[in-house]
Amino acid sequence: MAGTPSKRRRLARRLIRVLVFVAAVLVLLPQAESWQLAVVVPAASPLVAVASVLATRTLPWTACLGLAVGAIGLLRRRWFCRWACPVGLLADGATRIGLRLGRRCPHTPPLGQWIALAIIGGACLGYPVLLWLDPLALFSGPFSLLDAAPAKAAWWSAAAIAAVLLLGTLWPGSWCLRVCPLGATQDLLHRFCRWLRRTSARSAARPVSRQVDRGLPRRLVLGTLIGIGWAAAVRAVHARAAPCLRPPGALDETQFVGLCIRCGNCLRACPAEIIEPDRGQQGLAGLLAPVVEFREDYCREDCTRCAEACPSGALTPFGLEDKARVAIGLARVDMDVCLLGEARECSACRNYCPYEAIAYVWDEVQYTLTPRVNAERCPGCGACEVACPTTPTKAIRVHPC
Amino acid sequence: MDDSLNRRDWLRTLGASGLAAGLGAWHAGHAAAQESGFQSSVIDQHEVQPNRACPSLTDGKVIQPRRELPVVHQTDVLVVGGGPAGVCAAIAARRAGVDVTLVERYGHFGGLWSGGLVLVILGHIVKGGKQVCQGIGEEMMRRLDKLDGAIIDRRPGANPTVDAEAVKYLMVEMIEEVQAKVFLHCWGVDAIVNGNTVHGAVFESKSGRQAILAKTVVDATGDGDLFAAAGAEYERRSHNIGLVSRIGNLDRVDRARAEGSPKPRNLGGRTPVPGVNWVNMHGPEVDGLDVETLTRLELNHRKFIWKNMQKVRRTPGYEKVYLMETAPQLGVRITRVLNGLQRVTLDDLKAATTFADVIGVGGASNGQHGEWQIPYGALVPEKTDNLLAAGRCISAEIRMADLVRLIPNCFVTGHAAGVAAAVAVADGCRPRDVDVKKVQRVLQEQEAYLG
Repeated sequence: MAGTPSKRRRLARRLIRVLVFVAAVLVLLPQAESWQLAVVVPAASPLVAVASVLATRTLPWTACLGLAVGAIGLLRRRWFCRWACPVGLLADGATRIGLRLGRRCPHTPPLGQWIALAIIGGACLGYPVLLWLDPLALFSGPFSLLDAAPAKAAWWSAAAIAAVLLLGTLWPGSWCLRVCPLGATQDLLHRFCRWLRRTSARSAARPVSRQVDRGLPRRLVLGTLIGIGWAAAVRAVHARAAPCLRPPGALDETQFVGLCIRCGNCLRACPAEIIEPDRGQQGLAGLLAPVVEFREDYCREDCTRCAEACPSGALTPFGLEDKARVAIGLARVDMDVCLLGEARECSACRNYCPYEAIAYVWDEVQYTLTPRVNAERCPGCGACEVACPTTPTKAIRVHPC
Repeated sequence: MDDSLNRRDWLRTLGASGLAAGLGAWHAGHAAAQESGFQSSVIDQHEVQPNRACPSLTDGKVIQPRRELPVVHQTDVLVVGGGPAGVCAAIAARRAGVDVTLVERYGHFGGLWSGGLVLVILGHIVKGGKQVCQGIGEEMMRRLDKLDGAIIDRRPGANPTVDAEAVKYLMVEMIEEVQAKVFLHCWGVDAIVNGNTVHGAVFESKSGRQAILAKTVVDATGDGDLFAAAGAEYERRSHNIGLVSRIGNLDRVDRARAEGSPKPRNLGGRTPVPGVNWVNMHGPEVDGLDVETLTRLELNHRKFIWKNMQKVRRTPGYEKVYLMETAPQLGVRITRVLNGLQRVTLDDLKAATTFADVIGVGGASNGQHGEWQIPYGALVPEKTDNLLAAGRCISAEIRMADLVRLIPNCFVTGHAAGVAAAVAVADGCRPRDVDVKKVQRVLQEQEAYLG
């Protein structure tokens, strides 16, 4: 009779996990109106929340969600893994296959804890290294493949999830227990909590756990230092990287690349489909981070979706009234390409600019008409670049500020 | 001796004319002229007319007195302006079976297309290269094809370039073919209006100030001179104004010599005449209705074009290039724009809005847009009756001005205005009450494209 409640409990847990999985999938599917909900999935990660708060030094509502999940984790060890994690569900399936194939997990160091600590350490410098390894981010990424205009680079995120499953099959349980930084964060939180409890009541200490916990402070310090060192190195190197066009509201380039978890929410939320994952144009550090490309459409003047859909704070949300001031870049004209340079008829950029930032200026001496971009008014929305009729090179292009 | 004889002859002639003047009578003068053998050169002699109603200076103000104007003609549809829109309107209305009169301020048809030397046909195609300018505009291009040296680059997706003289000739041919009554060298200066209803227009010419009465008037002046005079509401806009020119001998540029030096900027685009290019020009963004501005621009532009050509000729290899002509007409791009019942907007273009009362489909200069429909309401003034706008002055928001003013789009709106005016006359109704379905049917019979 004692097995019945635990069996029932296991059944309920499995049911809830499946339900959460289905809900997460439904929310992430790129439908017209689900972009507002999609933010919930990656934002539920306490790791993303902590990194976001540390890196941006603000407390967005999305972080509150992750912090709440983390707070429960203080009391109940790895409850998120057991009850909710959709990647966990997939990894469990892989583990089961692996076990059936007779594979066993070798003893490995707690990589996940090192990663989690490095993330926290890096976040202190505004560059949470490897934050993209968060399972909820990994889970969100491949959904960009289902977008109306599928982002080819999203195959990379799909490959990452496939790698997780392969890991689970080859070394059953290794992802969740040893590698996953979110699982490790929960472990750390729980242990930290226990350590606190123990230091407050020193009497009841067991030798075994003391042995386990002895490595913890050292790991805490070392892991965090690795993160800080890594972030400092990246900041020094990346400072020289060519800036590129990021979605509106993006933090400064280095911080953005670090804090962006590559969940793909922004590119799926974009109604104009101008956000694409970086295919490594900006070096390895920027791989899969969103870049803006003005091919068919521009950043619409009535839209703030991408920043709202960002779970990590890499894009700072802004109101519609600030849209004109939140710059992606600045339009610049190449008079060697511009039709006006050859005195041909064109007024596309001026007519299409939603911010009335372009004026055509007549030079009485040179007898030339030149488009002039008012930097005060131009947020780099790209409407001019899309409208520009020159091919193959556009005469007016948005450049990073 | 010869000298003295000559002087005597001269004195005798002087005496004769002095005698004639002294007589003061017209008949005597006439007789003198007859006697002198110069009869054919004298048509009329005017006496001082005491009741001439010319303006007078009264208390420092110039006052134009009330006077009766001679009505020189009565017609069904009066088209004012013989540019691409006006000529299409006249031909369309005539083909729709009504009596048509076309009035043009210069001595030729074609407006800025021929007189302004804007020789390239921009804006007849949409994305994918489809040609949306059909009907009379396409007929003109087809007929130019058949003329020798009249049009080049007539292939799908390309912007053809025409010869100005070929355009002038073709338009004469087509206008004579449909037997429309024509008045050239007539500047439409006023509308004949009772209340909100237009009954014709007043013209200034060498024959003086005259009136033509009409059942419906099509304002194809480009500047909206007629609707403005009739009291219709409009927007007055500035745009850059240039002066187009043609340059020759480009086929005699010495390539080898030109190699080393930078190519002169803006040598224009080729025309059907070998070695001759037409050179577009922009200019300051000014009010094209201000005569002092127009004067200043004419003067400045001419100076620049000449000096610039000297610079071109100093470039190694380009010594033989020469300035062939500057356009007779200053390149005014946009001035007045009607406030119509409907308005052509960029948002409608972006959304590819379709209208139940579509009367034409517009294209874009380089085919970079999709089809954009032009509703009939964009030709109809808000309040003024018996008047339709055609060409660049139809009701369109400022962002659309640069598309609406393109020559093929003027063909399209001119064609539609002509048909609508004819249907209004035939049905005895005001243009605003016209049966648009019927207009669309006639337009399609005349091979116009309506989407």
